[in-house]
Amino acid sequence: MLEVKNLRCSYGTNQVLKDINFRVDKGEVIAIVGSSGSGKTTLLRSISFLHKADGGTIRFLDFEKDITRLKGSEIRRLRMRLGYVFQNFNLFRNMTVRQNVMEGLVTARHMDRAEAEKITDAVLEKVDMLERADYYPDQLSGGQQQRAAIARSIAFRPDVLLLDEPTSSLDPELTREVLNILTQLAADGITMVVVTHEMGFARNVANRVIFMEGGVVVEDAPAAEFFNHPKQEATKRFLRTVTDDCG
Amino acid sequence: MSERLWEILASSLPNLLLYCVKVTIPLTACIYALSLVLAFLLALVQVLNIRFLSGAARIYVWIFRGTPLIVQMYIIFFGLPSVGITLNAFPSAVIAFSLNYAAYMSETIRASIQAVPVGQTEAGYMIGLNYFQIMTRIVLPQAAKIAFPTLFGSLIGLTKDSSLAASITVVEMFKAAQQIAARTFEPLALYCEAALIYLMLNTALTLLQRYLEKRLSWKQPLTE
Ligand SMILES: Nc1ncnc2c1ncn2[C@@H]1O[C@H](COP(=O)(O)OP(=O)(O)O)[C@@H](O)[C@H]1O
Ligand SMILES: [Mg+2]
Repeated sequence: MLEVKNLRCSYGTNQVLKDINFRVDKGEVIAIVGSSGSGKTTLLRSISFLHKADGGTIRFLDFEKDITRLKGSEIRRLRMRLGYVFQNFNLFRNMTVRQNVMEGLVTARHMDRAEAEKITDAVLEKVDMLERADYYPDQLSGGQQQRAAIARSIAFRPDVLLLDEPTSSLDPELTREVLNILTQLAADGITMVVVTHEMGFARNVANRVIFMEGGVVVEDAPAAEFFNHPKQEATKRFLRTVTDDCG
Repeated sequence: MSERLWEILASSLPNLLLYCVKVTIPLTACIYALSLVLAFLLALVQVLNIRFLSGAARIYVWIFRGTPLIVQMYIIFFGLPSVGITLNAFPSAVIAFSLNYAAYMSETIRASIQAVPVGQTEAGYMIGLNYFQIMTRIVLPQAAKIAFPTLFGSLIGLTKDSSLAASITVVEMFKAAQQIAARTFEPLALYCEAALIYLMLNTALTLLQRYLEKRLSWKQPLTE
């Protein structure tokens, strides 16, 4: 469904992604793990064109092109089919939860208002935020904001949902709220790429796990294999540190 | 206080209030409306980084913030006639003030737009909005809220600064007080009276500001 090849990315002279190859198939849930600074956020941002890549190709369904040569209109068309959930939510602060969700439907996609309202109610129900639909972001806890942000990005039924550490700014209880929602979305068959430090979630919910270090993909394997029989030394080292943290 | 003084104060009060309503307030309102529009345009061309216009706006701000308002007024009212442009005192004051205030207010607006976190724009792109939609529906409403107290502060400053127009012969409230003071030889009383009216005017504006700020807020407590 979504594939990038030979993706390279940098900040000034600091090369952050070095020849990344990566693909997601329909219905898959992929967890991207790795210590901080390994380039996970940059990977999601360059797939979404929030950060300009230095090179590589992107294929999305039947569309394939050099990622550095996309026109503005092509970027917009691709973004229409991508959902993005930010680490710090980024809900529109001047809009209520309901307006946040409606915005992508009515303003961006010119959907009929009544129909948009119906969809909005349904997704808010799904993330258990219907009761807080008329609250402003500043009136909500982090977990509630993140659930609203998830509702906003699934409302328009993106082909792929990208999530950048959706729980890392939440405390443990709120983390559980959000992970439950994500588990449910996975069961609904939504294609997801989740950057996460939640190893339990990666093991139980993801089909595949990708481990990044220093801007390269070190290991890319089915979840069970990744955790039970990692091939690379670096992966084993990483898994030891994260399990030590938990224990 | 002597009876004569009371009489002077009482008889001049309606006069001063009249000049306040007829000149000071319209002068302030005209200047504020014009400078708000001009400031918004100056800020926008800088934020959008439009070629030539953006640089021109920066040069404009540099000049009009870097020279005294009263000198700008003198240039327009006393200076321009020698190149064949003669304007009445009131429009001269409106133009000079507007050009000057727009320079300051454009900086307020520009900074407020840039203070809206970039994540808001990125989230807008990721739900499929285009740049125009992001600006009008997300960035500008949030920037307006950030800019509001400072822009309102400019309005309060302007009601007071409008008295500078007296120096180019505009008869507004302060100039009226000057004339009465000269006639009655009671400058202390008259200028204090004028000061009190300015104070009351700005007290009203401050109350209005508080009311509007509450209305503008996006986190009014909702009743459960
Ligand atoms: N805005 C930025 N400017 C400069 N360097 C950045 C910026 N964002 C990230 N980096 C650098 O890019 C590298 C990868 O960062 P990032 O993609 O955020 O990693 P991760 O999400 O895995 O923690 C880091 O070394 C970081 O210092
Ligand atoms: Mg990150």
